[in-house]
Amino acid sequence: MWQKSLNHQNLSEEEEQSALRKAPSLRFRFILAGFLVISIIAGLAINLIFDYSQKLADLSYDRLLRSALLQMDENVGLMRNEVSIDIPWSAFATLAQADEDRVFYKVESLEQGFITGYQDLNSEPPQPPVLDQMQFYNQEYSGEMVRFAWIQRHLTDPETAQTVRIVLGQTRLSREAMASSITHKAVEVVVFIALVAITLIIIGSHLVLRPLHRIERALEERTMGDLTPIEINTPKETHHLKVAINHFMARLQTNLEQLENYTADAAHQLRTPLASLKALAENARDINSVDQHSTDLACSDRQHQALDNIVKQCDALSQTVTLLLNQAVVSHRLQTHRLEPIDILPPIKASCREQAVTALHKGVRLSFDCDLKETMILGDAFSIQQMMQNLIENAVRYSSSDEQYDTEVIVQLSEFERFYRIQVVDYGDGIPDLEKERVFERFYRGRYDIAGSGVGLAMVKDIVDHHSARIEIVDTEPKGTTFQVDFAKFRYNEGVL
Amino acid sequence: MKQTFWGFILIVSMLLGKVWAAETIWFGNSAATRVLYINSALDLASFEPILNEFVAQYPYIKVAYRDVNTLDLYHLTVKEHNKPQASLVISSAMDLHLKLVNDGYAQSYQSSFTDRLPDSFKWRNQLFAFSLEPIVMLVNKKAFPGDMPEDRQSLLQTIRQNEKTMTKRIGTYDIRQSGVGYLLASQDARQADVTWGRLLEAFGSHDVQTYCCTHDIIDDVASGKLVLGYNLLGSYASQRAQEDDRLKMILPKDYTLMLMRAALIPKGAPNAEDAGVFLDFLLSDNSQKMMQDQGLLFPIWPDLNSQNDPYVVNAPGPTGVIELDQQLLVGRDYAKQKRFIRNWEMALEISDED
Repeated sequence: MWQKSLNHQNLSEEEEQSALRKAPSLRFRFILAGFLVISIIAGLAINLIFDYSQKLADLSYDRLLRSALLQMDENVGLMRNEVSIDIPWSAFATLAQADEDRVFYKVESLEQGFITGYQDLNSEPPQPPVLDQMQFYNQEYSGEMVRFAWIQRHLTDPETAQTVRIVLGQTRLSREAMASSITHKAVEVVVFIALVAITLIIIGSHLVLRPLHRIERALEERTMGDLTPIEINTPKETHHLKVAINHFMARLQTNLEQLENYTADAAHQLRTPLASLKALAENARDINSVDQHSTDLACSDRQHQALDNIVKQCDALSQTVTLLLNQAVVSHRLQTHRLEPIDILPPIKASCREQAVTALHKGVRLSFDCDLKETMILGDAFSIQQMMQNLIENAVRYSSSDEQYDTEVIVQLSEFERFYRIQVVDYGDGIPDLEKERVFERFYRGRYDIAGSGVGLAMVKDIVDHHSARIEIVDTEPKGTTFQVDFAKFRYNEGVL
Repeated sequence: MKQTFWGFILIVSMLLGKVWAAETIWFGNSAATRVLYINSALDLASFEPILNEFVAQYPYIKVAYRDVNTLDLYHLTVKEHNKPQASLVISSAMDLHLKLVNDGYAQSYQSSFTDRLPDSFKWRNQLFAFSLEPIVMLVNKKAFPGDMPEDRQSLLQTIRQNEKTMTKRIGTYDIRQSGVGYLLASQDARQADVTWGRLLEAFGSHDVQTYCCTHDIIDDVASGKLVLGYNLLGSYASQRAQEDDRLKMILPKDYTLMLMRAALIPKGAPNAEDAGVFLDFLLSDNSQKMMQDQGLLFPIWPDLNSQNDPYVVNAPGPTGVIELDQQLLVGRDYAKQKRFIRNWEMALEISDED
């Protein structure tokens, strides 16, 4: 009936533990993803901080350098047509604020050449020189990276004009120290935030997964037969899971109910023929003892008849069992198989062929009337065949053996605009209008004088319902019953599969 | 840098006709395996007890000590920079020493002793000061006319009032020959430009005597050849004034310059390890106390309760500590130095051409 695990076995606790260990962890993934994202963000932030702190340090110390350079520049003058410079003490006092940094400088005039400072200092700026525009750049000197400020300007007096160039540099120790102290602080903060975030993720993952654990616990703690919906409050995110579990349990419940019905059916179906079989067998046993006076011949005759009855009853029983089996298969198929486009003709024909002989035994002529070529519907061939079988069997069974009318059952298939109609026509005694409503009820039997299970039509109804088809009982003229079933046509363009 | 000062070195060498000659004096056990070469501008009179104490404490080190004039010491260190002979260089010419460090001739050293040194007494962990002494005037009590001068103003007044007595009887450094002399003069000019100008003018008009070395000045003051020595190193003056009744040391009241003696380890110096040991020794409490107690030098951390009071500086006026930082480079700026020396020569009416 259901799909089951092939080798259903109870895992031992140890195996379950090891399976648990091997299973990928949702929480671990969650934390790992969070960790990665936060690390990347923190990495980027630290990278930015490195850049920024370097710029900030340069910005602040370049101010010192600029101030010192301007002080030097202010003290450049022309004396007897020669450039002279009197470096003020304060210029270097400014630079001394970067207390560990070495200072290099050079003053030169393009006309007069070297004036003072470090003669081997390269005074060519990296960018094209512009008068009075200060330039800052890094350049190696005396084995160390040095930050230079550069300026060039004209000195004029009535007799001479000179271009003076001043380069002033200081090593980068203080800058690096400042940058690294900024970086250090900022990195501390970033790392702290990252750690807090990761901790929150770990705690959060625990909180987020808690509803799952609650559902899990609720399921674990259930008693065996408890299929009632889970009724714990869960957040939106796990609501669907809860709903899905509840739906699943509802389906399971339906299945179980059907199984129960089926079992009840089967018990019911088997009890009656078994009881009658028992009665017949007892009867046959008692023939001799009850009627000792009768002649042997008569006795054996009656015994033979009794045995014949038993055989008949056995046949009926076998038929019932087959019916039950078919019902089981149909019920399973209905639940597990999807409907697919099929031609409705072959299953109808097949069931007609099967029933033709049985019908003839009963003196009923079975005919099939159809001139359609293709009759595609969405359905399950096996179920439809079962349906037809039941309908035909039913029709044959209730056909009267009245000589006035031909005892025949006609199966017709006709086409309408939107559907195909199957009609099973008999000329029996017909069903009173009041009973038409009830014939599809399980174990309802119209006439108890005619053998029948009371299950066949219920199954027909199930199959019809499953195909979203329509079944109707109409009266045959002049008498009898017609079952007509309408199946919607399958349209290719709808492409429903 | 080498190139920058190459010309200057040449000029100085030619002018002075001086060879890098200095006697090496040995301290310690001659069998000691480790040799520490010290080039120093520190008079042995002040330094010998300290050296003896050192070799007593470290018997496996012997010390080769060379006494070199501050300016020569600078040029020697620059000249030897490729293959320095000295493991440790000690000088009172703070500006030249700082320039050596700035120009990359020194190597770094760090220890618990240098770490506890206040930032103002070291630079870049390459230059370390171990003493702080006042710059003083030394007077011959008998020969000096009138009251003892309190400050530079009263000195000027005395000179004006006693022109005859003072002529040719004031001694000070020849700033062309003495590194520390130049430093003190340039600091005077920086501290009080006008006073310095007047003083220089007065010195010039009274034929001031110029010397290369402190001891020559002190000797002449003691003998009465001079009545006053101007801008002398406090440690030497104090030492002699204590021994010699004729001498009186005066800390100028208007301002008293404070000078550090500093040491550095040349880059690539041999046996830099022992240089560090010696530096730590100089900075140790023991040595600092010894400087004060035995009246050798003015320690950085004078013991205020010590018996030897003169070695605690009690300046009557403000003190001008010569700061051990990049500002010292200004005084040694090529153009500034040239101009300063020319002005000095003009004021004192001495000239190389004469």
